[in-house]
Amino acid sequence: MNSIALECRGIHHWFGDKKVLWDVNIKVGRGQFLSLVGPSGCGKSTLLRAVVGTHLPKKGKVLVNLAHNSNKMTRIHGPGRDRGIVYQHYSLFPFLTARENVALGLKLDRTSIPLRFFQYLKWRQLRREHLQLADEYLEKVKLKDAVKLYPHEMSGGMRQRVAIAQALIMKPEIILLDEPFGALDESTREDLQRLLLQLYNQNQASRKRNRPPPYTLIIVTHELNEAIYVGDRLVGLSMYWNWKENGHKTCPGAAVVYDKASPVFEPHEVREYEQFERQREEVRQQVFNSNHLQAVGKHVTYWDKMPKSTL
Amino acid sequence: MIRRTIQQRARILLGLLSVASLLLGYTWLSHRQHKDNPKDTTIPSWNQLAEGVVKSIQPNKLSGERWLLVDAKATGYRLFLGLFSGVAGSLLIGIHMGCFPKIEALLYPSLSFFAKIPPTAAVAVFMVMAGLGTPMYVSMIAFGILPTMAVAIHLTVKSFPDELQFKAYTLGASHAEVIWTILFQFVLPKLIETTRLMIGPAMVYLIAAEMIFGDVGFGYRIRLQSKLLDMSVVYSYLALLAAFGYLMDFALRRMELWLCPWCRQH
Repeated sequence: MNSIALECRGIHHWFGDKKVLWDVNIKVGRGQFLSLVGPSGCGKSTLLRAVVGTHLPKKGKVLVNLAHNSNKMTRIHGPGRDRGIVYQHYSLFPFLTARENVALGLKLDRTSIPLRFFQYLKWRQLRREHLQLADEYLEKVKLKDAVKLYPHEMSGGMRQRVAIAQALIMKPEIILLDEPFGALDESTREDLQRLLLQLYNQNQASRKRNRPPPYTLIIVTHELNEAIYVGDRLVGLSMYWNWKENGHKTCPGAAVVYDKASPVFEPHEVREYEQFERQREEVRQQVFNSNHLQAVGKHVTYWDKMPKSTL
Repeated sequence: MIRRTIQQRARILLGLLSVASLLLGYTWLSHRQHKDNPKDTTIPSWNQLAEGVVKSIQPNKLSGERWLLVDAKATGYRLFLGLFSGVAGSLLIGIHMGCFPKIEALLYPSLSFFAKIPPTAAVAVFMVMAGLGTPMYVSMIAFGILPTMAVAIHLTVKSFPDELQFKAYTLGASHAEVIWTILFQFVLPKLIETTRLMIGPAMVYLIAAEMIFGDVGFGYRIRLQSKLLDMSVVYSYLALLAAFGYLMDFALRRMELWLCPWCRQH
């Protein structure tokens, strides 16, 4: 069984003269919760868009393992239902209720316009099933009582919960979260972080039963504590690296300068910032410090410490 | 503070006050006119107006037709067909312009050009193109409202957030589903609102065309009775036109509440 769910291979991206990404290589293992951090303007969102498939990289490719039981990686050429996305803003369709939003993916993916028109009775039956499943997912994210609310009637936290349920119901290969809790207050943010940790716990439980973990996740965030707390792996993307050593006259774009495992927390565990103080300082120094130009690869050691069989 | 909400009772009372002032003002005007000339028909009294309504409803002595019935039927049919064609055309063009930049580049300059031509000024062109029958009235209304409506829908489609479009694709939507399942729902309130706004202009185009070329219809009858200075019929027709427009607007508002319940709660 291939344990790699997604791979970014040699990704370069630029906008005219502005170089954004330089030779980004990231392999995401199935069941991993990868946090992507980096200074403002380093290209985190550009990389995420490349993975979603809406803005393909100028050079390099993004590969997804669409078949769990084979090693075959498929190159992506656009957005697809194998990659779910949760954005910070505009996370829900304003004209649908919470349950309709969650069930939308099932409608789009499992039925077609002709079926909905010409096999109306079958569509009604399927619709009932979809809404029932949507209710179950809303219960999972603790929004059982909000099924009939429209997005404008929900708080920011509720909307993000619905957006997460909307992505989960599709069972994608990987879920991408683009600064999903950036606009929320501290308490709501912590609630949602715990929700992600619960998903991670379900991954652990699946592993124990020798089953493939159901959720693989990349979270892009500018909040370092969140990145370390939620993820089990921390990747730092930065333009502050020693590109002159590689023979470049100007910065060729941001590269992966940090890739290490991060501590795993239980959802109900009290968060102690001291527990990840050392890693936080390390990332600050290696990823965010413009005066500290380091050689690429020095702190990219995640897979070096993994058993070869996982690759 | 501006835009402060008022109580429902106050709203109803103010509405009734405006209608009452209108009726009182008319009564006073008519009374003043009839004091000088009791046979005046330019500002008819309430009795004369009632006679006008009866005259419109009863079979005509010469033709045997009930004016109101035949005119309402002809005007209503033309208006409905014209609005329907204009709305359907605007929806198709507006959505496709918003979705496909090539179609936008192709159609936007022509639409902007046609939007500046008043259809009433081009009535002769419609007559030459579509003849003197129903197709002329329908095409005049449709082409009259289409440029403005198509641009309104096009701008609404363009305001649809990219993130939601990308999300739809990640949920397994095809291009057709993004357009007809997602975007259509997004533009539906705008479509209904713009249709409501277009009822007035559509009526103007139709009545003007009926006044010039019609042999039946509200415009034709108003022109004829105006020439005879029989204002009792003209005013009752104007009141009926207003009621006609109000009913259409009311029906569209109800339709919006029914089809777009998320707007109700905004």
